[in-house]
Amino acid sequence: MREVLEACPGAQRALFRRYHIGGCSSCGFRQEETLAEICARNGNLDLKEVLDHIKTSHEQDAKTLIDPEELAAWLKRDTSIRLVDIRSREEFEAVHIEGSMLLSQDVMRRILGDGSNTGPIVIIDHHGKQGLDAAAYFLGHGLQNVRCLRGGIDAWAQRLDTKMRRYKLD
Amino acid sequence: MNDDLQKRIQEALANPQNMGELAGADAVGTVGNADCGEMLRLWVKFKEQDGRKIIDRATFQSFGCETAIAVASLATELIRGKTAREALALKTEELAGGLGPLPPMKIHCAQLVEGALRAALEPQKADPSPVPSGPTAPSLADSISQSGEPRKIVFLSPEEDTD
Repeated sequence: MREVLEACPGAQRALFRRYHIGGCSSCGFRQEETLAEICARNGNLDLKEVLDHIKTSHEQDAKTLIDPEELAAWLKRDTSIRLVDIRSREEFEAVHIEGSMLLSQDVMRRILGDGSNTGPIVIIDHHGKQGLDAAAYFLGHGLQNVRCLRGGIDAWAQRLDTKMRRYKLD
Repeated sequence: MNDDLQKRIQEALANPQNMGELAGADAVGTVGNADCGEMLRLWVKFKEQDGRKIIDRATFQSFGCETAIAVASLATELIRGKTAREALALKTEELAGGLGPLPPMKIHCAQLVEGALRAALEPQKADPSPVPSGPTAPSLADSISQSGEPRKIVFLSPEEDTD
């Protein structure tokens, strides 16, 4: 899998979104395993189909991302959007987008268990790096309308809310 | 997930059966890991009836997806009155019976219930994880969990804030 992940950085997200593989320790895989071995111990998944799915991972990631400007316009039209911030509490308290909520175990349980699989959710991180993993995690649990803020809150601060202070982590 | 399956899951979730800890349980089985959003714990209490030791009641707690909760709700009803051996003989799709066929990505959720049942009734043979032994690759949950030492936040100066 190491080579697969190097060739397709979004492979793990793609695997979890459709096949529920690689999301946590109980459905994870070892980097030394081959894709064929993983398919075999997950209900004999069709290797070719899985490989074809992984090859589209870049496009899947691209569809998940949403630009700050697009999100701002969407927020004006739809008040049901849940903004879920996956940064640390310290970062959240330093700066956050109005109306967003910090991801916690309780928030995750509510999101996964409230029975609304189609409600819009937008994941916010610092630079847009971990957000795609979080979005894939929710999509793999059956939520259907999950996006990730492209460039994270840093892009939001640069392009939408220029009064919001930018930061780095030491 | 198709609409029919979603509807059946919602029906099961609307009135979930047997949720919560069971006082005085004879057996407990846990699978998964609450830290990564997937954990299911099953309690089982037996009684003697007609010379057989049968399951009097089973309850569960789940921290995870709604499919696992729906399957656990149905399964804990299904195994009532069965012996441990009869309950262990049930396949994943039988435990999820009322939900109908599950798509591949949801079978894993139903397997959580089967794993918890096995861990409770046959702990010496339970295999809580199909993942081969050894360190696993970082999971998506690891990526979200923000583990490690807290890092100091430094606001960018006006000079730095120009890129």
